[in-house]
Amino acid sequence: MLLCDFHIHTTYSDGSVKLGRTIDLFGQAGFDVIAITDHVVNGDNSYGKLARKLKFSLREDTFGNYMAHVREEAERAWGRYGMLVIPGVEITKNALTSGKSAHFLLIGIEEFIPANWSYEKIFLEAKQQDALIIACHPHHTSEMTFIDTLFLWNNRDRYSRYIDAWEIANRDDVFNVISLKKYPYIAGSDFHRVRHLYSWKSLLNCKKDIESIKQCIRSNWGVAITLFRN
Amino acid sequence: MDFFWVLGAITFFGIMIYGLQIIVVRSTLLASRDSGGHATLSQLFPPISILKPLKGLEDNLFDNLESFCSQDYPEYEIVFSLQDGNDPAYKVAKKIKERFPDKNISIIVERCNRGLNPKVNNLFPAYRYSNYATFLISDSNVKVDKHYLRRIVPALDNPEVGLVCNLIRGAGGRSLGSIFENLHLNSFILGNICLLDRYFHLPCVVGKSMLMRKKDFEAIGGLGSVKDVLAEDHFIGEKIRERKQRVVISNYLVNNVNEYWGLQKFINRHVRWGKMRWKIGGIRYLAELAINPVFISSLPLFLYGLTREVLSLFIVACGVRVIGDFYLGRRIGAPLHPLSYLLSPIKDLLIGLIWFVPFINDTVIWRGNRYRIGKGTRLSLCQEGSEAWRYRLLDAIKARWV
Repeated sequence: MLLCDFHIHTTYSDGSVKLGRTIDLFGQAGFDVIAITDHVVNGDNSYGKLARKLKFSLREDTFGNYMAHVREEAERAWGRYGMLVIPGVEITKNALTSGKSAHFLLIGIEEFIPANWSYEKIFLEAKQQDALIIACHPHHTSEMTFIDTLFLWNNRDRYSRYIDAWEIANRDDVFNVISLKKYPYIAGSDFHRVRHLYSWKSLLNCKKDIESIKQCIRSNWGVAITLFRN
Repeated sequence: MDFFWVLGAITFFGIMIYGLQIIVVRSTLLASRDSGGHATLSQLFPPISILKPLKGLEDNLFDNLESFCSQDYPEYEIVFSLQDGNDPAYKVAKKIKERFPDKNISIIVERCNRGLNPKVNNLFPAYRYSNYATFLISDSNVKVDKHYLRRIVPALDNPEVGLVCNLIRGAGGRSLGSIFENLHLNSFILGNICLLDRYFHLPCVVGKSMLMRKKDFEAIGGLGSVKDVLAEDHFIGEKIRERKQRVVISNYLVNNVNEYWGLQKFINRHVRWGKMRWKIGGIRYLAELAINPVFISSLPLFLYGLTREVLSLFIVACGVRVIGDFYLGRRIGAPLHPLSYLLSPIKDLLIGLIWFVPFINDTVIWRGNRYRIGKGTRLSLCQEGSEAWRYRLLDAIKARWV
């Protein structure tokens, strides 16, 4: 089984660990596959504008550098640790209420996708780029400082056909609603700080290449979750 | 105010001892260059079994394990041993084995509960599996360069030498706990190891790296003799000396990598080490406080307030410590940020407080069981009895504080 984490932030958005260190941290811990998914925040409200102002978001003009750096580090990670690193982003549609907020990962993205597009437009563009679409922390979380992101869950009938998998576990939280609905699932750490290394992870029973991983998650066959503890 | 002068005198005594430690470390490191020169001339490099007990993810575990696979040494094997295949270190060990297919690497997963010391339990299968007559016990948080084995093995050429261990250099430090840990290893621990070895002929065996012959080890009872001892490294050193063999502290510095320690981990380790030293050293443990000039010089601040003399004493002690630690750090090539050394006095204040803990608590918790540390750090299961309320109260206070 491949030990994987598909939800990792670095200092390119609001993470506290630089990209190179993040790669080393996961490589030293024996991970097989990780996805770097820094935030792309919507800039169409004051909340989003503030995040962009504070550089907690990738922008169209920084995306190229980000992707080049992730690819460079991916090459290093493969040579050094035999670890596959997949570039991605977390589309972050923040609003003042949890019912209107949504976060989702686009894993294996190639071109920049702005977060202030409509949901359909983003999903279709992501499909065009053959990126995985993962709904993040889709239900109520235990984080006190975090506005829950319930939009996708509340509108699941409309959007679930676009979503490849839902986070059934995120960091320390488990969302049993995902299993009740029998939706495809994965788990991720939502890594922002070193201590988040120890959290829920995915185990995939497939080959260590990006196509097999996408196929494994989409078919949701051979996927398990594990609470990674030291 | 008379007591102030007593504390002042103790502070200056501590500073003098600290100065002596710096001199001894410096001369020990200079001597290392000589012995290194001889070592490379030695033609006798027996095959070595490196035993690596693994438990959990140490900081930079991949690099640490990899460094042992790149040794410039004729013949050696590495035996990684784990108690559980679900241990996260297992995956790292497997990756290392795959990365070095031409090296003689074995991974042993076997649960062993023969004793109360978890590291020794982990070593039983590795020791049994190892092939060579000379073996090295090496912790998983140790990183070395490729000359390590060539530098330390020649010391065993002399049949009078029964055990070779190493000086430690704290490396890494990206969190407060790990900076404190590395500062402490590079000053207090390093200085005292060199001082005790040079002037008191008391070699302090630190289990990070221990090289022995199997016949000598078995003559002192082997792993069975240390299975219920917390400070198994010290115990092995003592037994070797009782056999009239020498314990050599090689001046080759091994890196003890501490990258992301939390403050709690630092406190826990030094509480445990403090308890061990109290049980081993007895009355000598009291001297440790006297050689902590920062802590001693801080006491008048509470007793007499902020007077000019009191403040001057404290500032001098802190200044000496910062400069001394900086010098030592540079001398041993410790990869610490220069500003980290400003934290030395704070670390010493914390260590001063930790020093008192062994007097009120002599137990450790392992796998949910509490063990009492007895004479020579021998462990015994702590029964629920009349004193159990005391431990529960301490646990509750600790949990609430955390």
